[in-house]
Amino acid sequence: MEQALHLQDYPVTSTTWDEMCAPDQVRLPYQNVYDFLRQTPVDELNKKEELAKRLFMSQGITFTVYSSGEGIEKIFPFDIIPRIITASEWDFIERGIKQRLRALNLFLKDVYHEQFILKDGIVPSELIYSCPHFLREMQGINVPYDIYVHISGIDLIRDYDGTFYVLEDNLRTPSGVSYMIENREITKRIFPDLIPQNHVRPVTQYPNILHRNLMGLTPRAISNPNVVLLTPGIYNSAYFEHTTLARLMGIELVEGRDLVVENHRVFMKTTAGLQQVDVIYRRVDDDFLDPLVFRPESTLGVSGILSAYRKGNVAIVNAIGNGVADDKAVYVYVPEMIRYYLNEEPLLKNVPTYQLERPDEREHVLQHIHKMVVKKTNESGGYGMLMGHAATESEIENYKKEILKDPRQFIAQPIISLSTAPCYMNGKVQPRRIDLRPFALCGPDGIEIVPGGLTRVALREGSMVVNSSQGGGSKDTWVLSQ
Amino acid sequence: MLSRVADSLYWMARYMERTDSILRMLKINYASSQDNPEEFTWRPVLKIFGSMEEADISAIEKNSRQVLQHMVLDRENPNSVFNMVSKSRENARAVQDNMTKELWQSLNDFYHVMRRPTLTYDLQSDDPISVLDSMIKQCMVYYGVADITMFRGEGLCFMNIGKCLERVTQSADILNVKFSDLSYDLDKTADTTYWKYLLMSVSGYALYLKRYRSGFEARNVIDQLLFNTEFPRSVLYSLNQLQRYFNRLRSDQNTDGFNKVDFQIGKLRSKIQYSDVQSVSSMGLHQYLMDITDDIRAIGITLNQYYFAYS
Repeated sequence: MEQALHLQDYPVTSTTWDEMCAPDQVRLPYQNVYDFLRQTPVDELNKKEELAKRLFMSQGITFTVYSSGEGIEKIFPFDIIPRIITASEWDFIERGIKQRLRALNLFLKDVYHEQFILKDGIVPSELIYSCPHFLREMQGINVPYDIYVHISGIDLIRDYDGTFYVLEDNLRTPSGVSYMIENREITKRIFPDLIPQNHVRPVTQYPNILHRNLMGLTPRAISNPNVVLLTPGIYNSAYFEHTTLARLMGIELVEGRDLVVENHRVFMKTTAGLQQVDVIYRRVDDDFLDPLVFRPESTLGVSGILSAYRKGNVAIVNAIGNGVADDKAVYVYVPEMIRYYLNEEPLLKNVPTYQLERPDEREHVLQHIHKMVVKKTNESGGYGMLMGHAATESEIENYKKEILKDPRQFIAQPIISLSTAPCYMNGKVQPRRIDLRPFALCGPDGIEIVPGGLTRVALREGSMVVNSSQGGGSKDTWVLSQ
Repeated sequence: MLSRVADSLYWMARYMERTDSILRMLKINYASSQDNPEEFTWRPVLKIFGSMEEADISAIEKNSRQVLQHMVLDRENPNSVFNMVSKSRENARAVQDNMTKELWQSLNDFYHVMRRPTLTYDLQSDDPISVLDSMIKQCMVYYGVADITMFRGEGLCFMNIGKCLERVTQSADILNVKFSDLSYDLDKTADTTYWKYLLMSVSGYALYLKRYRSGFEARNVIDQLLFNTEFPRSVLYSLNQLQRYFNRLRSDQNTDGFNKVDFQIGKLRSKIQYSDVQSVSSMGLHQYLMDITDDIRAIGITLNQYYFAYS
């Protein structure tokens, strides 16, 4: 009987935190999973991997890549071994994220109204006004319950000693939550009984909480408001997620062409004429939302939707203009925001970040660029990133030139050695780098975080880049109740 | 219901109905080609269901395997089973939130079956009837799942409207294929097996044996396919169903559109109900069938104008 896991072949070092193993011993929460992996022969695990693939395919949990006029269905890679978070770790994460979101919400309200934080010199005005996602169109608009970030997906990583750091705040239209839900469904099928044995907390309540929050935002006082999910359409790589969420909430999935604005109200075109829409959970970026205000060539949005929003006739989730708060240069100031607005010390740490606009920090970064990750402040998905330790000399030289052209567009961070978790790769259990994206929901009654999240994995050995657009995969994420 | 959603459900159902009907037609024609290799030709099938040039038809009309490849798997043939299943599934994909997960999965599974790389080989070297049967089974799963799981709302009405419209068209087309062999002469007697295969291709053989005791003749076959209300693929039965599902859409809104479509359906239905084989033969079967498909097309256009227009 061939085994997939041999402890002597599973490298653990003191420079990287491994979720399953400390040097020479298995961490207690992973004991059940570890035993399971030890007892299960490779053939069995291969079968489970096959089953997972088949389930994803047959349920259409796929995205379509179009080439030569024909669509090909792809699966977002899934690693069958779950990632485990203990009850006490989760308790800390939960408190930390709630604190951070309270501050970020207050910041967004402030920055689009009185701007106390700028006037008090906590955050420099130049930084805000030079951010392309700071939208003057939002100035003075009141949003329901002063909530801007209804849904967030804050990315967390762990350093060599296990400390959690916030890598970035995703406050616009974070994606991946459907994989949190579907990965769990798949795990139920491939590892029967393992979930109850380990006292894993459920994640299925996510759509119900979100739906309740969305209903609560209705501008019309009616018993059955029209809540819709606005998608860019079937060609979007997250389309599967949009249909899943719409179905799980029982709300209408609409495209821009289904909506029309009349007299500052939004309507959808139905077989029985126009019907007013009250709440829009949009998965279309700010830029494409209203061609009259933002990009005029956009066909994904709805002309005049901003005027309906301004009048308070429709609620839009997440609020427009949130990008100013998750700009990677503004990120540096989040701990200050927590102190300023809440008078508390931040629970979750920021990754030390250099702003390249500041001459002394820029000098330091350019000298030590081999030990740095340099990122563009307004890119996401792992695009436009330089990993100093892996780049060639000419890549570095070109990147330096880019930086000097417009330093505001860049930040740098020391390379954090992401924690590793066991993954099943080609018949062997191997450590791979991971991060964690819990999804927090902010509604009229407060902030709730479903115990779980999306664990992204860098599938290539040694790689630190977990983004799905850069070949990353995902894992089911277990939060234990004890 | 969103107009776009209604449109997609309608087309999803139409494509599936067409798929099912073409698969059955191919299966029986293939069986018939084995019985009767000298006289048998695929020409009428290719003319009515395909978009081939005359010369290409002549080249393959006697080659069953090539015809099956063209009708089932050819990516270039817009009416191939492969393309219709893809289109049906693409429509479903865009409105997944308006159907049960089971229904979406049945279509998605069918789609993946059609993309199996071994299919070309199977169709060329294996028993084609087994291959076609495995696809027909996917259609039956789709119908069963739709019937058992779909909520009885507007969405199902639009699906059924699409299905019924398509079924009328298919029944008319199949008569057209078969009678063009006989130059539409109702008195020209073909041999028994000829009619037997036609009836089997529309699952109407058992009913025929019970209802028409006088043996196989063209007039009875026409009667069953056009007028027999016990027969689920007859034109009249499908039109009754169409009227029934369409009537469920009656509401205070969109009365204009409703009245227009209602009028067209009622008119066509009366025309079929109050004619018989005698009047068909005096008018000419070909003309009669063409009129039906024209009227169906007109109903589709009005539906599109008043119910599906969204851009």
